[in-house]
Amino acid sequence: MSLKVLNPNAEVLNKSHALHMNINAAKGLQDVLKTNLGPKGTIKMLVGGAGDIKLTKDGNTLLKEMQIQSPTAIMIARTAVAQDDTSGDGTTSTVIFIGELMKQSERYIDEGMHPRVLVDGFEIAKRATLQFLEKFKTPVVMGDDPDKEILKMVARTALRTKLYEALADQLTDIVVNSVLCIRKSEEPIDLFMVEIMHMRHKFDVDTRLVEGLVLDHGSRHPDMKRRAENCYILTCNVSLEYEKSEINAGFFYSNAEQREAMVAAERRSVDERVQKIIDLKNKVCAGNDNNFVIINQKGIDPPSLDLLARAGIIALRRAKRRNMERLVLACGGEAVNSVDDLTPECLGWAGLVYEHVLGEEKYTFVENVKNPHSCTILIKGPNDHTIAQIKDAVRDGLRAVKNTIEDEAVVLGAGAFEVAARQYLVNEVKKTVQGRAQLGVEAFADALLAVPKILAENSGLDTQDVIIELTGEHDKGNVVGLNLHTGEPIDPQMEGIFDNYSVKRQIINSGPVIASQLLLVDEVIRAGRNMRKPN
Amino acid sequence: MVGFSMQPYGIQAMLKEGHRHLSGLDEAVLKNIDACKQLSTITRTSLGPNGMNKMVINHLDKLFVTNDAATIVNELEVQHPAAKILVLAGKAQQEEIGDGANLTVSFAGELLQNAEELIRMGLHPSEIIIGYTKAINKAIEILEDLVEEGSESMNVRDKDDVISRMRSAVASKQFGQEDILCPLIAEACIQVCPKNPGNFNVDNVRVAKLLGGGLHDSVVVRGMVLKSDAVGTIKRMENAKVAVFVGGVDTTATETKGTVLIHNAEQLENYAKTEEAKVEEIIKAVADSGAKVIVSGAAVGEMALHFCERYKLMVLKISSKFELRRFCRTTGAVALLKLSQPNPDDLGYVDSVSVEEIGGARVTIVKNEQGGNSVSTVVLRGSTDSILDDLERAVDDGVNTYRAMCRDSRIVPGAAATEIELARRLKEFSFKETGLDQYAIAKFAESFEMIPKTLAENAGLNAIEIISSLYAEHASGNAKVGIHLEDGVCRDVSTMHIWDLHITKFFALKYAADAACTVLRVDQIIMAKPAGGPKRDAPAGMDED
Repeated sequence: MSLKVLNPNAEVLNKSHALHMNINAAKGLQDVLKTNLGPKGTIKMLVGGAGDIKLTKDGNTLLKEMQIQSPTAIMIARTAVAQDDTSGDGTTSTVIFIGELMKQSERYIDEGMHPRVLVDGFEIAKRATLQFLEKFKTPVVMGDDPDKEILKMVARTALRTKLYEALADQLTDIVVNSVLCIRKSEEPIDLFMVEIMHMRHKFDVDTRLVEGLVLDHGSRHPDMKRRAENCYILTCNVSLEYEKSEINAGFFYSNAEQREAMVAAERRSVDERVQKIIDLKNKVCAGNDNNFVIINQKGIDPPSLDLLARAGIIALRRAKRRNMERLVLACGGEAVNSVDDLTPECLGWAGLVYEHVLGEEKYTFVENVKNPHSCTILIKGPNDHTIAQIKDAVRDGLRAVKNTIEDEAVVLGAGAFEVAARQYLVNEVKKTVQGRAQLGVEAFADALLAVPKILAENSGLDTQDVIIELTGEHDKGNVVGLNLHTGEPIDPQMEGIFDNYSVKRQIINSGPVIASQLLLVDEVIRAGRNMRKPN
Repeated sequence: MVGFSMQPYGIQAMLKEGHRHLSGLDEAVLKNIDACKQLSTITRTSLGPNGMNKMVINHLDKLFVTNDAATIVNELEVQHPAAKILVLAGKAQQEEIGDGANLTVSFAGELLQNAEELIRMGLHPSEIIIGYTKAINKAIEILEDLVEEGSESMNVRDKDDVISRMRSAVASKQFGQEDILCPLIAEACIQVCPKNPGNFNVDNVRVAKLLGGGLHDSVVVRGMVLKSDAVGTIKRMENAKVAVFVGGVDTTATETKGTVLIHNAEQLENYAKTEEAKVEEIIKAVADSGAKVIVSGAAVGEMALHFCERYKLMVLKISSKFELRRFCRTTGAVALLKLSQPNPDDLGYVDSVSVEEIGGARVTIVKNEQGGNSVSTVVLRGSTDSILDDLERAVDDGVNTYRAMCRDSRIVPGAAATEIELARRLKEFSFKETGLDQYAIAKFAESFEMIPKTLAENAGLNAIEIISSLYAEHASGNAKVGIHLEDGVCRDVSTMHIWDLHITKFFALKYAADAACTVLRVDQIIMAKPAGGPKRDAPAGMDED
């Protein structure tokens, strides 16, 4: 071997060995993830190095948490994670699709076909499928007043693949409402404006949407009110604590009076700032029994807290930066960076501010706000792994709704698209292709069927029966999906099963690319400094 | 490392070394169930008033002798991931209600054990989950039905009412002593119950453990018991006003470093004098404001102490911030940051502050009879630390039960009467179902039998006999018949006065069913290589809490 001459320590896999390694890795990864797919998929339990538990059905989480070592598997996993980054869903499908493409290719390669020909076929099929997707998608008009029903259907479809049914249905409304809440026309949706907060409390079904904000800390002074109605909210980023000067300063005094004077002087500038806030409070709250709440990004030291408490002001310190942004969106007003020119216009408004204590943790709820553009999804659950599971699902649900609004289109789900695309490829595209690339198209078409097949398998149905039934219906011109409870064909439109257009597009786009790359590898070389690690 | 050229097929090859991967029914589901079963057999023998104590020694070599399931499972440091889910359910119950953790863990274990039988029969876990979910929903419905009539409204300030509801919770921890403990706990709780009972704060009932004496010597103090001595020589003060200073009683200091600048000897002499004059001025001001007791949150300076003595001020030091806050609540004082003359409004009031010697330890007893809903303390006496710890847990459970009843005072029959009734009605329900779920529902119903069975077994009775006679009674319509553990017969609970809170049962059953379903839902476990770190058998540091 020529390489051995160059570096006697290098390891080389060539030709069919390399190919088979890639194919095996892809199939292996597919095997791991395939039980996750769909609403009937099962849950995996991940145990971390520290013994922490994570329960998940989400392909993306699984890929991230599993420490994969095989280079091929890493490549596939990265594609899937990229899938999640761009569209927020469809990781499991991507892995399955790639695995299936490799599996189909294996058959042809074993019969002596050159991978290059297959790859050409994939390319043609990919382009055709994308065109077909454009025709197949169901356009949705979003405008100023989006159709809530369709958004709910999409969210439900996404959530049901991550959580059990009852919980998914409950979260559907929460997710859709929260996205609609933060949506401003003419502006891209920033999902970060939906705060996701969790509390270890009660049950998972107690998860709710708070129109307003929930902060995960409380006021630090025992005499401040725990609950206040009709509140002015001052959002600010002003330090209300004594700060040491940058240079190394010291005081010299020769008697106790002088020292007292210095103690007083030291605090004066901080006290002045506090006084300005108190003045504003007295101005806006004079003659009514409204309350005043300060939420400060910087610190407030105990003497200042004391002054504020005496003035009847609720003060929260060290709020998260992101929350400052959200606060302004939720309550109105503006975030101020200095107390010099405070006006009542800077103030926001909330109908109710209260503190909730759970064991050691404090939470502050800012609720009943006017016209909010930011909201909080408050996740509850009895333990951390439940909360983590819901959190992942909520994030995916939010993305699904956002995608729908941005795509202005949805795709029929429950495997309907895959079957339809496969029939289109086999019946129409294949005939227009010249030569051996036809086989590539065929392999691609068969690989598309992986998704409905695995859906059926996970539901304990007979895969062959299901596929034959589905393709039969499609040949008759009916667009049908799979009913996971009975194994009968159903109309996804009637059942409200819709997938994201962008998710499907991304899968069709990235799957064949990575599969082609893997197929075209003919040598795997491991050489380099680290290869001689002790065993 | 696996040979590069010999990549085996499958997931094992793709993961880093040290990973373990379990999947499928035999490897994952049944193993999980087995682990959970093991855990629940441990807790089960501690269930109920006749439950046995466990001796647990944790990694810090601390000894626990208890039958409180929450403590046991906490200190066991369960490693198995599935069993951990049960532990978490128990903890959630402990946090939510503060009682019933044993019921949660044991019942979840029983549910899983029965699920195993179903799996061996050939049912798929997902079918069992559907059945269990249906069953728990039905069970909750039935539980609502079993609520004792007229118990929705109770007077949370009526001692007898409170005791009757608290009794079974305390009895399950300290059987035979509930008649001594319950009145104490009830009294302490009622004293601090605010106007709106929903706002009852568990933190307001304190426990002070003092070694020596016996349980009979335990008392309730309306106020606080501080486990420290007074700083000065004045050890007793009555009907006194109190000033609280967070920042310590000493000379003031600037944040920036200060240096005393002295030019000549005269100044040196004068400096000490001005200091003294300053401190005296302040202490005098405090004394003039009417305060007779000074409480400091930080160090008390020698010089300040001297002047306090001179002005006949009693000085206490409370270094814990939370303790200080409670003290403020007890006395109604406003904590001042700096040592200065307090406003009359900021002063608190105590009936008496006195240092007493109890069992060799000096404690400061702060009493405030008129304080209303402030703080009360249960002073527990016992011969050993572990007995005191166990008594404390019983008191905690009792106080938590009080909080729970403030929120929802509905009660259901105790002494396993509720469980048998649930089992009976759920069985009837299962006959009406047509699908495969009926088997799961029937097993769910059967799981309830575990509770009377365990109660009877722990009391040394014949479980089968008891259960069959319970069923017989319930079938004839006596839904309130439970086990009388001392006599070993079945009797109506209303004659025995054993009631459980509905809310405790509700959460326990729900958490248990949730945990069982979660364990059943898992079909694959991927375990990372345990992270390195300090070895468990080596002392892990000072983080004992």
